[in-house]
Amino acid sequence: MDAQIQDKSQIRLKGVRDGFWVTLDPSLPVNYIQEELTRIFNQLQHLASNSRVTLDVGDSEGYESVIEMLRAFLKSKFNVASVNIAPAPPSPKEVFIPGDKSRKMDVSSFWRQHNTDALVIAGRVRSGQKITAQKHLVILGDVNPGSELIAGGDILIVGTLGGTALAGQPDNEAAIILAVGFKPIQIQIGGVIAVGLSAAPKHTIEFAHVEHGDIVVEDYIKTNPFGRLTWPEVR
Amino acid sequence: MAGSALKRCPLEGRVIVITSGKGGVGKTTATASIGAALALEGKQVAVVDMDIGLRNLDVVMGLENRIVFNVVDAAKGKCKIKQAAIKDRRIENLYLIPASQSDNKDILTPEAMVRLCKELRKEFDYILLDCPAGIERGFENSVAPADEAVVICTPEVSSVRDADRVIGLLYARSITPRLIVNRIVPEMVENGDMLSHEDVVEVLSVELLGLVQLDNQVVISTNTGVPLVLQKDSEAGQAFRRIAQRLDGQEDLPIEIPQTQKSFWKKLGIIIGIGK
Repeated sequence: MDAQIQDKSQIRLKGVRDGFWVTLDPSLPVNYIQEELTRIFNQLQHLASNSRVTLDVGDSEGYESVIEMLRAFLKSKFNVASVNIAPAPPSPKEVFIPGDKSRKMDVSSFWRQHNTDALVIAGRVRSGQKITAQKHLVILGDVNPGSELIAGGDILIVGTLGGTALAGQPDNEAAIILAVGFKPIQIQIGGVIAVGLSAAPKHTIEFAHVEHGDIVVEDYIKTNPFGRLTWPEVR
Repeated sequence: MAGSALKRCPLEGRVIVITSGKGGVGKTTATASIGAALALEGKQVAVVDMDIGLRNLDVVMGLENRIVFNVVDAAKGKCKIKQAAIKDRRIENLYLIPASQSDNKDILTPEAMVRLCKELRKEFDYILLDCPAGIERGFENSVAPADEAVVICTPEVSSVRDADRVIGLLYARSITPRLIVNRIVPEMVENGDMLSHEDVVEVLSVELLGLVQLDNQVVISTNTGVPLVLQKDSEAGQAFRRIAQRLDGQEDLPIEIPQTQKSFWKKLGIIIGIGK
């Protein structure tokens, strides 16, 4: 059914799930359209009868009489069940053109094409449990000492981090580890390891990142590391 | 949870595993004490020593010299449950099913334990399983038949870590554990030298069943085989009695926090404003 009949003709027919999709230009001479339709539908033989035909004429404005004529023609000659008109294509304003990104960023839609890479886990991660994420890892809950988190990208914990966290594995040193209550046993970002981090007061949001080859832990609110970005970016 | 299951079939006993992960935190003492306290409440109680090869519960309960058959014999059908269950000398309704000292843990299977406990449920209101340390075969055998779990931990980082692991494993088997914090030294907690029970509960985040303070009477009780709960002056014994009452449905019994024992002269000093 998916066979596409597309020879030199300016009329194209494609089998779709529940019928046929006919693309044509209504400005062509009516005789020519009828000849071509006859030729194409003859090839379909018995498949044409009782089929549902959709006419895709682009912008149909001003061609209503032609369409009506073709509908009657197809129904009488090939005994098709119905002839519908395809919805008009969206106006150019609504179409997002990726190549235009450098000049004008559309805030509401530029990340629509980005599929999420984050693994979001809710609950307490207990001793002996290990969670591995391909890219970013978000934990809504506490991470107890003795547990292990491994992520290809960032690790964000809405809760206390008490276990071992390995972000940016194997070699992404731009990754961060963020937690509300930052008292890990050991952390690793890319290939950089840090141990024996001094515990901050309770419920401070802190994050670890790599600076000049060392892991630095800072207050997230005071530092606001992403506040200086000019534009929301996909991480 | 088993609580609701119990309501559906009131004739069936509850199987409760007492576990900790780490060794030496007081599982056996807790099993003996809670078992004795439940029996004193008038319940039919069986305590089962699951530590095959390293049996202790019989010594703690002072029933060592009465062992003929053990849990392995009962599970393998070599004897009847009534033959393996040793009646306590002092407390009515309390029975011990001892472990085998000569075998190792691989001799039992989780399936055999499920079968054995199915039989025990018909005879007893409570079946307490004293789980061995570790998370290997002995743990599997003890947890397989259990409806409920009580996790014992002491206010030490290593004990909390192991209890956390065990809680994770229990949740993975759809058992909701409850927690007893054992061996609390109120003076050390006050001075900040010991984790407080709040710290422990914060990390483990499970329902607290009771707090037990460090008590020298435990050593005396263990060596003499006199149940801790029968000693009126034992703080730990009284704490275990309250834990048993809570297990037995008195959920709203308040949890007493171990307090520093202050002498008469110290109390007087505080009243008249000298000393601290």
